[in-house]
Amino acid sequence: MIKSLNTAATGMVAQQSNIDVVANNIANVNTAGFKKGRAEFEDLIYHNLKDPGQASGLQSVSPTGVQTGLGVRTAAVQKDFSMGQVLITKNPLDLHIEGPGFFQVQTTDGEIAYTRDGAFKKDANGRLADKNGNLLVPNITVPPNASGIEINPSGQVSALIGQDSEPQAVGQIDIANFINPAGLKNVGKNLYVTTVASGPATNLTPGTDGVGYLAQGELESSNVNIVDEMINMIAAQRAYETNSKVVQTADQMLQTANNIR
Amino acid sequence: MSLKGVFTALSGALAQTQKIDTIANNIANVNTTGFKKDQQTFNEYLTAIEKEQDVLQVPRVPASIESFYEMNGADKAFVNAAGTYTNFEQGSLKHTGGQLDVAIEGNGFFEVSTPDGVRLTRAGNFSIDANGQLVNKDGHPVLMQLPDGTDSASVSLDDRIVKFSGTKAAALNDLGEITDGTQKIGQLSVVNVANPESLHKVGNNNFSFKPNMTPQLENVKLPNLKQGFLESSNVNIIQEMTDMIMAQRIFEGTQKAISTYDSMADKLINQVGSTKG
Repeated sequence: MIKSLNTAATGMVAQQSNIDVVANNIANVNTAGFKKGRAEFEDLIYHNLKDPGQASGLQSVSPTGVQTGLGVRTAAVQKDFSMGQVLITKNPLDLHIEGPGFFQVQTTDGEIAYTRDGAFKKDANGRLADKNGNLLVPNITVPPNASGIEINPSGQVSALIGQDSEPQAVGQIDIANFINPAGLKNVGKNLYVTTVASGPATNLTPGTDGVGYLAQGELESSNVNIVDEMINMIAAQRAYETNSKVVQTADQMLQTANNIR
Repeated sequence: MSLKGVFTALSGALAQTQKIDTIANNIANVNTTGFKKDQQTFNEYLTAIEKEQDVLQVPRVPASIESFYEMNGADKAFVNAAGTYTNFEQGSLKHTGGQLDVAIEGNGFFEVSTPDGVRLTRAGNFSIDANGQLVNKDGHPVLMQLPDGTDSASVSLDDRIVKFSGTKAAALNDLGEITDGTQKIGQLSVVNVANPESLHKVGNNNFSFKPNMTPQLENVKLPNLKQGFLESSNVNIIQEMTDMIMAQRIFEGTQKAISTYDSMADKLINQVGSTKG
């Protein structure tokens, strides 16, 4: 009896983490470059009460064993790196990677972080940085008297400087790719950092070796699909309720047992 | 009168407890990919099967401890947990759109190489690890089919691990063919178990073989897969809730039987046997 109480509790915990993931997806439905997560579950170990082939009588053996499961756990929260929709912003410093790949930024503590959010700004020194002031890597400085910044699909940044009639190259944006992007760790602020599971980053020119080209004046919206999330939320909530019913049943059975005397 | 019937009622209560445990596990795994529900079966356990009616010893032997336990055929009948059966019915397919999500339609299992040996699973939620290997959620490599005309003895498990270059798009299709960019690497191994009763669960969505049974395995050359889908658990909530209500009520019934025996004993001791007139 105590077993089923705990088993149902693991079910409730699992559905709770399912709802947590759904809630975060829905909260980020309008976050540029956000990638949705999906909770994955697996069953826990089984308690073997009777092994198959064990004697069940003088001359009989049981053909199947008896085992009861001990519940469920959250095995992983799988990140889904499918493409989000394109938002046309016409802002020259908004970039969109049309395929796999990540922008690289240097955070304030000097670490390299990766992001799909291509909404860059100029800081006070003319360097390209993300919303939080993390500088784009490799650093690109736009001269103060520059106008008409152009970023071509291969990541080359050029601008008209002063009264020049020909645009001049001011830098090159590289993008990083990973063997297993789903192994990256979310650190908030639309940033990811590498882990052992993601493997090291490979630096690539946009449009080469499977990574996407850059598109200027566009942003990638979140890939969250509200309808899917609502359905997942309903399923998770109902599963949670059913597990709580099991807790109730187990509790009532214990009560019955206690009421024998 | 004898009170040993109370143990029969007790065995019923224990059986229903076990049934509730199984139902609780099914319900806990209602959203687990590729989960197959369990059913607990019971049968009547007669001591007669174990021990024939005692023959009267002539001449009488001195009384021993056994003499106090009369074994008259079905005199003691318990309910006995006969076995756990896993129901391998197909779960419904759920669209995820994931490039490396595959579901098996019909019979068959994917092969996964774990540190404890090859395990079978119905959960096709695969991903790629840092070394470019196709792995399941626990990081264990998924195996592909042996190339045609080779026998299993000549190919080590390591050669059957799916390895992607990591720079090109990794893809699976409905036949289980694995492609890295445009190059075909191999085909996912799907094995059919002709006697599914030889399988038992080992947790983590995996199945292994029961120790005393010989599995009859056959490779499925052209598996029927659905890429971009996952197989949901085949647990039916309504069925489980109904079973749970039934198990709970039977449990209450056995408790009533126990308290009836108790009040009978009470009468016997305190009323029938009363020395007050």
